This record gives sequence, structure tokens and C-alpha cells, in this order.
Amino acid sequence: MIPFEMVEATSLKEALSMLDPQEPAIRPVAGGTALMLMMKAGVFQPTRLICLHRIEPEYARITLGASGELRIGAMASLREVEKDANVAARLPVLHRAMRTLSNVRVRNVARVGGALAHGDPHMDLPPILAALGARISVAGPKGERQLPLEQLYTGYYETVLDRNELITSVLVPPLNGRKAAYMKVTSRTADDWPSLGVAVSFALADGAIRDPIVVVSAATEKVTRMSGVEKVLQSTAPEDAALRRAGDAAADEVQTLSDAHGSAPYKRELLRVYLRRAVRQALNESVH
Amino acid sequence: MTAISFTLNGRPVSTDIEPHRNLVELLQRFDLFGSRESCGQGLCGCCTVLVDDKAVSGCLYFAVWVDGKRVATVEHLDADGRLSPVQQAFIDTGAFQCGFCTPGFILMAHQLLKEHPNPSDDDIRHYLSGNLCRCGAYPEIIEAVKLAAKATSKAAA
Repeated sequence: MIPFEMVEATSLKEALSMLDPQEPAIRPVAGGTALMLMMKAGVFQPTRLICLHRIEPEYARITLGASGELRIGAMASLREVEKDANVAARLPVLHRAMRTLSNVRVRNVARVGGALAHGDPHMDLPPILAALGARISVAGPKGERQLPLEQLYTGYYETVLDRNELITSVLVPPLNGRKAAYMKVTSRTADDWPSLGVAVSFALADGAIRDPIVVVSAATEKVTRMSGVEKVLQSTAPEDAALRRAGDAAADEVQTLSDAHGSAPYKRELLRVYLRRAVRQALNESVH
Repeated sequence: MTAISFTLNGRPVSTDIEPHRNLVELLQRFDLFGSRESCGQGLCGCCTVLVDDKAVSGCLYFAVWVDGKRVATVEHLDADGRLSPVQQAFIDTGAFQCGFCTPGFILMAHQLLKEHPNPSDDDIRHYLSGNLCRCGAYPEIIEAVKLAAKATSKAAA
């Protein structure tokens, strides 16, 4: 890595003041596991990193609100999310995914806010949290704003965040009986970046799917909600023929990209099949 | 240069380090070579180091971040002149050939046994899934971890 400067913010406010809306070579760093990979590859060459480790500890807390909403502080490590009793009990889909999302060492260090803000479409947390209907809280010089996580991404490694804004927390509503699942496919080794990620959540009423949220990642330029597939699934009984139609609709709805993890046509076929499997997995799991 | 102070294998130390150096490079300055940068991407586990009792990939951890923290490398395990139960189990089961990856496996096994004193096969595979052994000693490594778990629980009883 080429030399740069690292400064340590001791509060969120100070961190925000250290960022520069016009300067891409100044960036915040949380766990640094993804950023260091980019720096080692020479893709990102900072002049200054703003370290967030010593901002107020409240930004690393995971708390349960009265309405059953979980607030996950952006500085919580992935391991803290994995070990949190409320996450395990209330959001089993998230708890389970943590084990497959990277190895123990990376999970000890990587932070939730970084995993979301990085904008890498191959990461697992964004599709899962988007399918759970999560919102994010974002702090900037003008104060705090909230937006649905699914609206964060605008392109490949691109988000709606300004350079002087920071995600402070993720707000995950309670499942309230909704079913949820996340499936990913890796084409080389189990711990490789995925070729495809599919996350689904839906309610079941009288044997029919209601209000589905379907999100695709990794195979596409950005984490993408598939509203066309959701329309196909809405009010249908999750039987083979219906799931097949939904899989076909998914393959038609998004443009998949070719990369080292698979060609675009290959990923399109994966999506066709794994959309069905994700819905089936959501149906089979015993969540409350 | 940034001035940092931390505890290294039980001993307080201070040094100056550039912000772009990683933890493996910092340890080399203290003549500690058990943590090795191999893949450089956090995948292979050869660079495993314990920071405040948590395993991290030294190659993906900025050196300046250990300021004020406790750092332990594989070299601390036999500080009292005796091998740790995990180290002894690796020898007893022949869980290595070239030995390059061994320090990382041993530190991850320590982390595993601290959190799961009686690990299932699944626990062992889960904790060690981020460590690669190119000699392919995996069956013996899993045996070693089981043997170490047995030895540790016997010692504690």
C-alpha cells in the first residue's frame, strides 16, 4: 500500500467534520477489511483515512425497540450481530447468514455500516436486510435522515451517500410472522464471493403469499429489488407451477453481469432456479 | 509515523509505525515471524493474530489500530516453556507437513476451544474454514483439535 495519513475521530460530529464532500481520496474507515483489499489492489489510493473506532460507543450497540424493531449500530461488528440474542431469536435468517458471510476473523473486525456503505453488490448483508424491509439512518452536516436500505444503491460500488455522510444505524422491523430466506451461490469455493444472492420475505395468508419482497445481489450491477417478481408472487399459493413462473419472471426482469464468478447467461439460469429455492426455504424454516 | 503503545505477548511495548503498515509488518519489527502474510486477502489464515483475545487477519488489520490493545501471537503459547495442549495435539496427530499454515490453525483452534470447549465437527469446520493448508493435512488437523479439546477438559476436571 502507498503511504497515507490516518486520523482518529473521537465523536460522530468530529468524523463528519473531517470528511470532505469534494475529496474522494479522503474516506471513513470502520473495520477496513474491504477497504484494505481495494488499497492493496491499488484500486483505491487514499490521502487520508478517518478512523471511526473511537466515536461514541452507542453507534456500536444493538438494541430492541418497544415495537420489536431492532436497531443495529453501524459500528457493530458482524460477529456482534451474529452473537446477539435478539438477532438470533427474532431474525434467524440474518443470524444464520452471518456464518457464511466471511470467516470468523473477518467477522471479528468488519462492521455493519462498512458492509452496507461499501456498495459492493457481492456482499450478503445488503440483500438480506433489504428483503427484511430495513431502513438506514444517515448522519451528515445537515443532520440525520432515514431511507429504505433498498434505495441506498445507485450502481456498482455507488450509493446515494454524500462523501461527508455516514450510516449511523440500521433499523430492522420485526418479522411479525413473515417468512424469510437468503440463498447464495458460489461457483468456485464455498467461501468465495457469490455469483448470485437472492433474499425473499413474505407473509402467508390462507396459503397464499402476501406482500413479498424479493431482492437479488451479486449477479447484478447493484442490489436490486425485483418488483415484477413480487407481482407474480403476490396472492399466489407457493406451488411448483407458480414458483416456476416467478423464477422465469426473475430471469427476465434483471440484467445479469458476467465476471469471474460466472457468465451473465449462467447467472440468469441460477436466478431462475434459486428464486424458487429461496421461497421454498422460507416456507420450510420454523420462524415465528 | 504514529506512536503506538500496546501489550505484546504479555509485555508492554512502544514503537512508531506508518499508517499504511499492517499488523504482520509490525510484528516482524519485533522479530515475531509466526504470523505470515500469505494470501493477503484474509482468506488463508496464515497471518492470524489475537487482538484483545479476538482472532484477526493480521494482513487486513492496520498496525496503528493495536494502540492500547493486547496482542498475542503464536509465540506466546509456550511462554512458560511448555507447549499448549493444542500445539502438543498437532504434534501428536502429525497435523502438518510443511508447517507454514500451522500457527494460524493453532491460534484459530485456541479461539474455538475458548468459545466451545467441546466443539462438534461442525464447529471445528466452521472456525477453521478460513484457514488453508496446502499440504492437505485437514483430517489430522481436525483430529488434533478434538485431542486438544479432550486434553483441555481433562486438565480442567
